[in-house]
Amino acid sequence: MKALWVVCMTLVVAPAIAAPCGEHLDAKARRQIDGDGLSLNYAPRPSPIPADRNFELAIAVCGAPVTALRVDADMPAHRHGMNYRATVQATGDGRYAAQGLLFHMPGRWRLIFDVDTGGKTVRLTQEVEVR
Amino acid sequence: MRRRLALLALGLFAAAQAAAALLDFTPEEKRAIARHGPWPPPRAQDPGNAQSGWPAAVALGQRLFFDARLSPEGRVACASCHLPALAFADGRARSMGLAELDRNAPSLWNAVHERWQAWDGAADSLWSQSIRPLLDVREMGSNAAHVQATIAGDRDLACRYEKAFARRPMAADAETTMVDAAKAIGAFVATLVSPRTLFDEFRDALARGDRRAAARYPLAAQRGLRLFVGRGNCALCHIGPRFSNGEFADTGLPFFSRPGQVDSGRHGGIEALRASPYNLLSRWADGGDATTSRHVMPQHRNFGEFKVPSLRHVAQTAPYMHDGQLATLDDVARHYSDLNPERLHADGEQILRPLGLADGERADLVAFLQTLSPRGGPAWRAPAQRPCR
Repeated sequence: MKALWVVCMTLVVAPAIAAPCGEHLDAKARRQIDGDGLSLNYAPRPSPIPADRNFELAIAVCGAPVTALRVDADMPAHRHGMNYRATVQATGDGRYAAQGLLFHMPGRWRLIFDVDTGGKTVRLTQEVEVR
Repeated sequence: MRRRLALLALGLFAAAQAAAALLDFTPEEKRAIARHGPWPPPRAQDPGNAQSGWPAAVALGQRLFFDARLSPEGRVACASCHLPALAFADGRARSMGLAELDRNAPSLWNAVHERWQAWDGAADSLWSQSIRPLLDVREMGSNAAHVQATIAGDRDLACRYEKAFARRPMAADAETTMVDAAKAIGAFVATLVSPRTLFDEFRDALARGDRRAAARYPLAAQRGLRLFVGRGNCALCHIGPRFSNGEFADTGLPFFSRPGQVDSGRHGGIEALRASPYNLLSRWADGGDATTSRHVMPQHRNFGEFKVPSLRHVAQTAPYMHDGQLATLDDVARHYSDLNPERLHADGEQILRPLGLADGERADLVAFLQTLSPRGGPAWRAPAQRPCR
């Protein structure tokens, strides 16, 4: 009986674990950040992210239910952020689209994703080199 | 035989001279230099302006640009402050419309490639920017009814308007005709893309590995360029083929426009942009990508920030900075050399540091900047226009 229960649980859980997060994203552009039980995948468009031009991010968050997602960026070495406030739109199934990002100079930028989940905010970051 | 040997020796000598006249740019420097081209860039249109690129609108816009009758007093035209002979700037520290302004007129060359117009970026298109001086009481002091009446009252202008907009100037309300006029002016300004320069020849020669052609670029300019993309870090903000990121910066200059009066720069520009009934989010825009206008975010550090100007034609646009505080390019180089970080109002931002340039380095930097203007005669000649029929 116990064996049957395990088999059933495996059938239920396995697809959730096996399904790659953000598999719909452009594979060449896709980047992944993991933390606090979350897996966030994003793909910029255009890719690679250019200096001085608008770009968008297609995002997928997996691992826990997400109530809200905010996207920002800064240049830690210069101590400044963007001149623009990105907007994020949920498109369903843990997918999001962020628009209005613009890196106004070349160098090392840090993408910041604030994910509201389970009553707390998880900050996931990743640095990107912009030329 | 002796003659052949002499020629061979001469050839070897010339090759050695050419090699000696080209600095040993590193691969990283070459990549950085290559990013300032190619020139000219792909053709661009004035955003939200369905007239941009249409010859009839360009022809009307050219006429309006030089027509002082658009100002009710009949003495200020767009071209009063944007003189073709001065790279479409005016050579003044502060421009003079109907009254003296707080800033000078920026060059209009390549303005179509700018994301934001004017020193404070208060306009997001050329046509929207064209309306600002028309209505500003210190500049042209005009109004929609006057603009409409001026166009309708001149046979040639009325004819050109009708060709561009397929209706008579009085067929629509005055505001519509004024916006049409601004779009025609925007269509004309959008055609002002500057010719290639000595720098462009060098950049392309270096990119294709043509050392002989690259060596024609003056050594002082090469040294200045090396400073520009290297230790000077100028290419952080003055990026790309236009040598500008199109954004705004505080460069440590005083921003009092009058005693006790602060020019808020970009901060006020964002407020004006949002308040403008003629921005790209308005009903007057003919579509166009309004992404940046929708997402631009005012921040405290925007106080005292001014546009990072394109450096193309820079040798022709003295005096420098938004209010002409610096008279010459050497003064600009000296400013960044001796910069006082205490005077920056950048909320902790750490980009500018004094460069500590020696006299020769400043001269090299200026020599490089001088190669960003086209050589020879005037870069713009008014295209001949037949009377409109």
